[in-house]
Amino acid sequence: MKHRTYLATLVLFLFSFNLGIFIISVTTLKDTINRTKEQSLGEHYFITSALLKDFKAVESRGIDIESSLDSLLQPYGYLSGDKKVGLALYKGNQLVYSNRLGTELQNNSWQPTQDGTRLVSLQKSAGSTNVIVSGKLPAPYDLYTIIYLYDMTDAITSWQHMKNTLFLAGLVLSSLLALGLLLLLNRIFKPLAQISETSRDIAAGAYETRLPVSGHDELAEMAQSFNHMAEEIQSQMVELISAAEKKQQFIDNFAHELRTPLTAIYGYAEYMQKAVLTEDDRLSAVNYIMSESRRMQTMAYQLLELANLKNDQTNLESLNVSGLFQSVQQTLQQKMEEKEIQIEYVCETDVVWGDACLLESLLVNLIDNAIKACSRGGHVIVRAALEAGKKTIFIEDDGKGMSSEVLRHITEPFYRAEKSRNHKDGGAGLGLAICRQIVFHHDAELEFISHPGEGTTAKITFTTSK
Amino acid sequence: MAAILIVEDEISINELVKRNLQLVGHHCTSVFDGRTAISEMQCHTYDLIVLDIILPESDGFEVFKKAQEIPTIFLTARSSLSDRIKGLSMGADDYLTKPFEMLELLARVEAVLRRTQKNKSCFEAGAVRIDFNSHQVFYLGQMVECTPKEYDLLEVLINNRNIALSRERLLELVWGYDYEGDTRTVDVHIQKLRKKLGWENVIKTVYKLGYRLEISL
Repeated sequence: MKHRTYLATLVLFLFSFNLGIFIISVTTLKDTINRTKEQSLGEHYFITSALLKDFKAVESRGIDIESSLDSLLQPYGYLSGDKKVGLALYKGNQLVYSNRLGTELQNNSWQPTQDGTRLVSLQKSAGSTNVIVSGKLPAPYDLYTIIYLYDMTDAITSWQHMKNTLFLAGLVLSSLLALGLLLLLNRIFKPLAQISETSRDIAAGAYETRLPVSGHDELAEMAQSFNHMAEEIQSQMVELISAAEKKQQFIDNFAHELRTPLTAIYGYAEYMQKAVLTEDDRLSAVNYIMSESRRMQTMAYQLLELANLKNDQTNLESLNVSGLFQSVQQTLQQKMEEKEIQIEYVCETDVVWGDACLLESLLVNLIDNAIKACSRGGHVIVRAALEAGKKTIFIEDDGKGMSSEVLRHITEPFYRAEKSRNHKDGGAGLGLAICRQIVFHHDAELEFISHPGEGTTAKITFTTSK
Repeated sequence: MAAILIVEDEISINELVKRNLQLVGHHCTSVFDGRTAISEMQCHTYDLIVLDIILPESDGFEVFKKAQEIPTIFLTARSSLSDRIKGLSMGADDYLTKPFEMLELLARVEAVLRRTQKNKSCFEAGAVRIDFNSHQVFYLGQMVECTPKEYDLLEVLINNRNIALSRERLLELVWGYDYEGDTRTVDVHIQKLRKKLGWENVIKTVYKLGYRLEISL
């Protein structure tokens, strides 16, 4: 684009510039020739009229004109004082007088018209250019024709010189212009080059690259929107990368979660095959194999649940909160008694909008977590209430609580509050990931408020108006 | 034979490693978190630590720093190259990823112990005494002539005592992967060992599996 603009502009300029020079020089040339012609005509007229008087005077003295022609014409030959002027006199077709016109008038082009008008012509021959005026003397001497020749070679030469100077100056000016134009175009096209370079950088992965914005013109505006685009790309890339990282993390964790029970199952089986075992040894090995298999089964089940939740449409309906709490209570009865934990249900709203199975699973999961966090004899309060006009379910415990660092990750699959993967509490680390998915399907929000040692509150806020 | 500290938070795996090591006669102590491991190391001396990397309280790398001169085998589910390099470049003696095989664990433990000279140079069981340094075998105080393969087989059996070894595995461990002989070679050598050492009832034939050297020390 830049080169095309450059070439087009340059060619256009050079063409018009040189055309201008050409027209000027041609006009000058024509002007010079015309002026010379005028002058020559004047001279011719002067000589003719002077010669007419001379002829008359000579005739009145009775002297033959032919014999005194030389002396009569001699003075006119020096009229212009240099050798630029030539004179010739013809009587009929016969040359009767000439100063230096011998060879220059071979053809008959000089022959004047019969009606007495004069003929002006420009003749070029062998390195010289001449203006020739021919005309007859008036009657009774109309037998004579006077030829006046003006040599304008010098004028032409000086014109040529001027023309050459003009073209030379034109050449210099043109090269200056070409240079200037190049610089100007470079400056104009610089932002474009910058944009293409920046786009290339961005395409190559340097998403933080931006265009410098200066001024308030169209280019600045474009740079701004370009930068905006780059920002969007960058943020989306960051999102994609973090999503990919999360997925990778999920797979890593999953592999780890699989490996541990597999190691145990394989190891105990091998142990049973190869070692000499007492009955006790055998029993405990079989127990380990079974409990580890059960763990894998739970994990598979939960993973499946998570996958189904991600794909399936939920069946939302109006649910009675107290009924929901009742079924949750039944499910958790045994665990509650085992750990001697008191669960208090407070019901301040009557209905919520949701899927009965999913909401029950959500509450069981969250309350189960609360029970795990509590020490023996702890307290859990499950409360459904209106907060800021929105239906909210709180699950409060007075257990060990979590640090903010832990809080940030708890809904990630396979994440465990303890750095190690201790399975004393059971579960595969997928519970809260499932909770988050359920909450997502209900257009609700799940939030945890917790401080170490002060217990945890899980808060489900329903954002739907129903 | 050697005192080994097992640091692993998964109870089932901790127990498994312990049982396997006890089979070949090591004395094992199980701990389940990093802090206990560190205090345990300060109270008692150990010949070897089998250490998981992901631990509660303080992780395996931290425990390892405190372990100083004690030979360590990392045992972990993390099998990424960077983790392995980190473990080994810190000076770990070996690295074992889950899931692992019993024989692999024992072989590595054996190798580390031998390398760090914590293993006895001599083995005695009943009337049989074996000197590992000079490769000499004594029965009732008399030196027994053994072919090199017989000695190798004997060493493998002792190192994996109380564990049934299949003929194929024995062939692989004693004769090498590229040995193209029959598994009957193993039977022949086992017979010879039984006869020379009076171990007719000590090297047991395990039905459908192979052989097991049964010695409890």
